[in-house]
Amino acid sequence: MASNKRQSILPRVQAGPKAPVNFSSSITIADTAILTGNHTINISSDSVIHPRSKLDSSGGRVTIGRRCIVHERTHVGAPGPAPPSSSASFGVLLEDYVTVEVAAVIESGETTIAEGCLIGIGARIGKGAQLGKHCTITAKSVVSPGERVPDYTVVYSNGVRRLDKRGVNDLKNKAQARQIEVLRRLIPSNPAKFKD
Amino acid sequence: MASFTPYSYIQCPCFDATGQARPSDESPSASSSDAPESDDDHAFDPRSPRSNYSLYPIEHLLYCVDCNQIRCPRCVAEELVTIYCPSCLFEVGSSSVKTEGNRCTRSCFQCPVCIGPLAVQSLEPAPESSSLLTADNAAPPAPGPWALCCSYCNWSSSEIGIKFDKPQGIFGQLAKIRDGDGHGDISVAAVDAAPTKKSGDAEADSTKSRFALMRSFYQSQLANSNSTSSGNLSGTLGEYGYGSPTALSRIMSLYSGNGLAALKPKSRPTEIREADSFKDGFRPSNLDESSSISALRENGYDGTVTNSQATSQVDEGARFVEDLWPIPHLLRSKRAKRCPVCRHILSKPEAKVNNTRWRIRLVAGNYIPSISIKPLNPTDTPGLPVPDTSSLTLTPLKPTQYLLTFKNQMFDQIKVTLATPATTPGRFASRVTVLCPQFTIDANAEDYDINEALKDDRRQDKEEAAPQVEAGKPWERGRNWVSIVVEVIPSSLRIEPKPAILRKPGEAEDLGPLKEDEDILEIPMFVRLEWESEAAQDQVGSTASKDKEAKEKRELAYWCVLGLGRISQD
Repeated sequence: MASNKRQSILPRVQAGPKAPVNFSSSITIADTAILTGNHTINISSDSVIHPRSKLDSSGGRVTIGRRCIVHERTHVGAPGPAPPSSSASFGVLLEDYVTVEVAAVIESGETTIAEGCLIGIGARIGKGAQLGKHCTITAKSVVSPGERVPDYTVVYSNGVRRLDKRGVNDLKNKAQARQIEVLRRLIPSNPAKFKD
Repeated sequence: MASFTPYSYIQCPCFDATGQARPSDESPSASSSDAPESDDDHAFDPRSPRSNYSLYPIEHLLYCVDCNQIRCPRCVAEELVTIYCPSCLFEVGSSSVKTEGNRCTRSCFQCPVCIGPLAVQSLEPAPESSSLLTADNAAPPAPGPWALCCSYCNWSSSEIGIKFDKPQGIFGQLAKIRDGDGHGDISVAAVDAAPTKKSGDAEADSTKSRFALMRSFYQSQLANSNSTSSGNLSGTLGEYGYGSPTALSRIMSLYSGNGLAALKPKSRPTEIREADSFKDGFRPSNLDESSSISALRENGYDGTVTNSQATSQVDEGARFVEDLWPIPHLLRSKRAKRCPVCRHILSKPEAKVNNTRWRIRLVAGNYIPSISIKPLNPTDTPGLPVPDTSSLTLTPLKPTQYLLTFKNQMFDQIKVTLATPATTPGRFASRVTVLCPQFTIDANAEDYDINEALKDDRRQDKEEAAPQVEAGKPWERGRNWVSIVVEVIPSSLRIEPKPAILRKPGEAEDLGPLKEDEDILEIPMFVRLEWESEAAQDQVGSTASKDKEAKEKRELAYWCVLGLGRISQD
């Protein structure tokens, strides 16, 4: 049914240079994901990249850990407002079990998201920010560039912070694994497209 | 400068009932339209502080068809139709509101930290099933314990040590934990297993349980004192609340003067003891605040509650985040509104909770003409859209014309009479002239001929492409609307003392700086409507009184305020 697909009236997004990739064999990456940049994009095992998510390694290497979910219209490795400094050793590092929700933006430049973090819908993580383990950044929240967010922090309601004392990390990781199982059946994976 | 949209507000007649020096606007003898003009002292001043409480946009007003009067949200009488929980949309009977309080007694809770809705979640993982395919189709019930969790800020009731044995009947379980096991008078049958308790010393500390203790203590005290002091009287009077010794002696002296007291001088009422122990519900205030100080030192500012968190709690006195309990949802109500004079129902919502419609709703917009304001640009042809004038300001001392369009929503022809003071009240008196203060608007009849209307339009396009501004004539008229021209000469906003000739003796002048919104040109306008409609008894004999004689004359008069625009400040 490709013929009656609605065509976008917007001009086609100028695709940058095709990024060199390093995929694990068990990842799920949609056909319409956009991977651009000059540096390597590493995606570890069991991670899911949704359609129309954009991974941009032009500001440095992008690494995505195990069992991460990167949702639609996200922009991982976005250029920050400041001009990119060449000193950054890598762009973005997502550790294991990280979920990046729809339309979230993670700026490039040694930005580290530790294990089990949830980046909410439309949230923005500034350049060089370091998120501790199991942080929750709720929808539309902003983490400013270079900020260090301690472990288990919840950022909500225009930047109010509190500590997550639920202690449900194992539950969360199990739920993430189950969600990945479902997504794997729903999203047709085409890693071959991005390899050259 | 901020953009400005012209507005028209209508004054509710209930204002007159409270103000003393106001003319009675609804007096039926207001035959001459220039009566308010003649005594400017009595003209309505939109800038007086009281006016804020009586001016409403037409959308907020209701209309009583029996009294033929406007009714505002302030003067209607309300009555409850339905009480319901906004979270689960479950209807709550008024009797259960009286016994259980004004909060939802089902499992609807708000997060005490961020007021998001709380969900019941299991703290243990679901047992691993053999295949993941069955796991999401039919998940096996997760084992307890359960906790209330906020999905937004990740608050969990396990943070304050509250866990539930079952996912149902959370309100009852929570009340049991809060009030301690013995004193909770909430009879929820589902709670038979004792829920996990918080810590040993915190129970029976809630206001409710203390009240219950204190009440039972004083009741037993009164019963004791009655049986000892007032003897045989206690059996009859005790039930009527006269059992207390002081009340009894007062009554006895009332009826018998000194006679009885002289007869029985020794019957001194026995003193009743005041509550003084913990089991009487008495709690001395804790003056030793070292624990609070150490908690502050330990957790810092993040460990304390914010003001809004403390006020949204059910029980007062929360100071640290450990004191924050889940908030049961406050119930809401649907209300019917009645006319305060004749008790006629003005608006009545559907009784069902999930139905948002109204059974009866008499909005004023259906009965009184709406007024829309637009600047008149004589260069514009009427067909062209008016350029965006919201950002324009009025130039001082330059005559400007505005077009007021009155739209009739009634099925009767109405005669409109307008009156304004010659100058606007306030420090900056602008001159106002209504070029056509008297006109009639045709009925909002549905049986008009579309061809006729189109022909009218075309003829108007040809002949009167540019209607003239002429005194005594409406600018334009349509099927159920008439537009008229109002000319204003905005005053200068310069603050300078009046010339000595114009100054009244003994008048103090206000030469202070420009106040907020004082640069808005607001015209108070008295509107009087007159129309003929069928007699009020038409419900009784609608078939018999169809003849023309059954029509009766009605009138309605009210003040309104037209905000035309801002006067530029230079």
